[in-house]
Amino acid sequence: MKKILSMFMLGMIFSLAAAGCSAAPQVAAQPTVRATEVPTAEPLEVTDGLGRVVTLAGTPQQIISLAPSATEILYAVGAGAQMAGRDSFSNYPEEAKALADVGGSMGNYSYEVITSLTPDLVVAAEINTTEQVKALEDLGLTVYYIANPSSLEDLYGILETIGMITGNSDTSAALVESLKARVEVVVEKTRIVSFSPAVFYELDGSEPSRPWTAGPGTFIDMLIGMAGGRNVGGVLSGSWAQMSAEELLVQNPKIILLGDAAYGTTAEQVAARAGWNTIDAVKEGRIYAFNDDTVSRPGPRLVDALEELSKLIHPELYP
Amino acid sequence: MSRTARPFVILGFLLVLALFVSVMAGSMFLSPAELWQAFTSRAGGGANGVEQSGVAATILFKLRLPRAILLLLVGAALAGSGAAYQGLFRNPLADPFLIGVASGAGLGAVVAMTIQWPYTAAGLAAVPLAAFAGATLAVLVVTRLARVGNSVPTTNLILAGVAVSSFASAVTSLLMINSTGELRRAMVWLLGGSALSGWNPVLGVLPYILAGCAVLLLLGHPLNVMQFGDEQAQQLGIPVRRVRRVTILAATLTTAAAVAFVGVIGFVGLVVPHILRLLWGGDYRRLLPLSMLGGAALLLLTDTVARTVIAPQEIPVGIITALLGAPFFLWVLRRSKSQNYW
Repeated sequence: MKKILSMFMLGMIFSLAAAGCSAAPQVAAQPTVRATEVPTAEPLEVTDGLGRVVTLAGTPQQIISLAPSATEILYAVGAGAQMAGRDSFSNYPEEAKALADVGGSMGNYSYEVITSLTPDLVVAAEINTTEQVKALEDLGLTVYYIANPSSLEDLYGILETIGMITGNSDTSAALVESLKARVEVVVEKTRIVSFSPAVFYELDGSEPSRPWTAGPGTFIDMLIGMAGGRNVGGVLSGSWAQMSAEELLVQNPKIILLGDAAYGTTAEQVAARAGWNTIDAVKEGRIYAFNDDTVSRPGPRLVDALEELSKLIHPELYP
Repeated sequence: MSRTARPFVILGFLLVLALFVSVMAGSMFLSPAELWQAFTSRAGGGANGVEQSGVAATILFKLRLPRAILLLLVGAALAGSGAAYQGLFRNPLADPFLIGVASGAGLGAVVAMTIQWPYTAAGLAAVPLAAFAGATLAVLVVTRLARVGNSVPTTNLILAGVAVSSFASAVTSLLMINSTGELRRAMVWLLGGSALSGWNPVLGVLPYILAGCAVLLLLGHPLNVMQFGDEQAQQLGIPVRRVRRVTILAATLTTAAAVAFVGVIGFVGLVVPHILRLLWGGDYRRLLPLSMLGGAALLLLTDTVARTVIAPQEIPVGIITALLGAPFFLWVLRRSKSQNYW
């Protein structure tokens, strides 16, 4: 029995591998040539976040975004008028809500809706799997995958690339310049700061005895540091993890930021939690609602988040 | 129509109907006329129709049809294996995942998902391969642990299956809790709702499900006799041990191949055989093929619901199978006249 089973298993692995091989990334044939396309002289070749070489025949006019971060980036670089669809979670900027919804809840997109919108560019992000990229490519679509930036410098590069492939290089260059200038202002102001208050960023406090927070390697962790604070969650091992209330009381944060304010958590509720009244932030009333979208989506609003954090953590810098 | 043929005709009709509905329904409704046009223009080799119905043809041939065929095969595999296991273990709670296939596959898949695979053929096949390997490994471990001397007693098999399943599920949960990346994908996979496209998954599972189902279909008579108990069956000339091995082998391969691509779809394998048993009796020579037809039809219909009810979003089909299947099963159970059908 065991021998036969392992033989069959080997067989299956080979046949699956064969199926996978025949599925090897091929150069996707363009489905249809549309009359509305603005022809450009040369097809554009760019390497995306998966290391794939993506070839664009012309300036895309029917773009679909599969992630809120990608939608925000596309609008920020001035490609809003070229958008045809977006995932269900893209709610910023306001205009994006009017676009066709291609799904995305629980990681499932409607390939049918995507196909019927006849996109000439689909922009994916790290919330998408390589299988999804492959499936869209097999449908004859051009897919560009944005890997998550690990620094603001990475973000600038992404903005410039997306600006270039959508024919908006000028807008994206201006955007990057202004973002850099705004970051520089915060960095300059923070230079004179002599101490870094402890900041607790709450992602989800529905279990007050162990709220979810952001650990090392997350944008909020990096931005709190840049704004002259110290992220309490930085001691955790996971990027997104639950922190025991005990540890929180020991660390005694000066500031509590409610990333879950959008779900109805208020400063009053936090103050009423058992034991939390000993925390400095509660005693001093420094509990603030924070727009989690600006830090959970790696897009241009990270800089908005940095400015906001700077004002909340070091109000003395903004007299 | 003869009494024996009627269930096959009814389920066959239901299956064809389900196939049509699932190919027509979706974000873009395709009428029978449009289907016909898409098929004929494709056969005609690029006449004018192709360019006009380019989107419809892409949706039909690259999305709906392969998905329908895949789910048809998976439904048949799950329900057929479920019927065979219920007969083999003489246990009404037996389902295709009884001895570890689902939890083993889940562990394999989630392990593979914790790694960011490169965009290559091997990387893209990593999750289904790992799921298949996990499923077959789990069953190997279970049969190995359940062995006493030269035989594998049924009770040992079930208990070892439960223990190994719990262990594998615990490791899976641990991996998911510690994961730094996306949990949604693993969640959806474990609920049986991977969005698929193209023909490669179909080609990948086809040989296993066809071979496995063919073998299961031959087991009707021995399983009938084994309902009297292993000893009686042995005395009546049934090679009980061999039947058990062959059943487990065939059911493991078909279900492992089925879950490798679509994830763990519960309920179909448990309840379809019961519904059919209530309706048309427990003769395994008929129950096995009927279960395969019924499982295929049920999964196609529930998938159509899963795709359309809150479109453009899709609900994992495993949720819908239980949501619709459980009340229907209870209704059949309540109105069945026999007190004790099992």
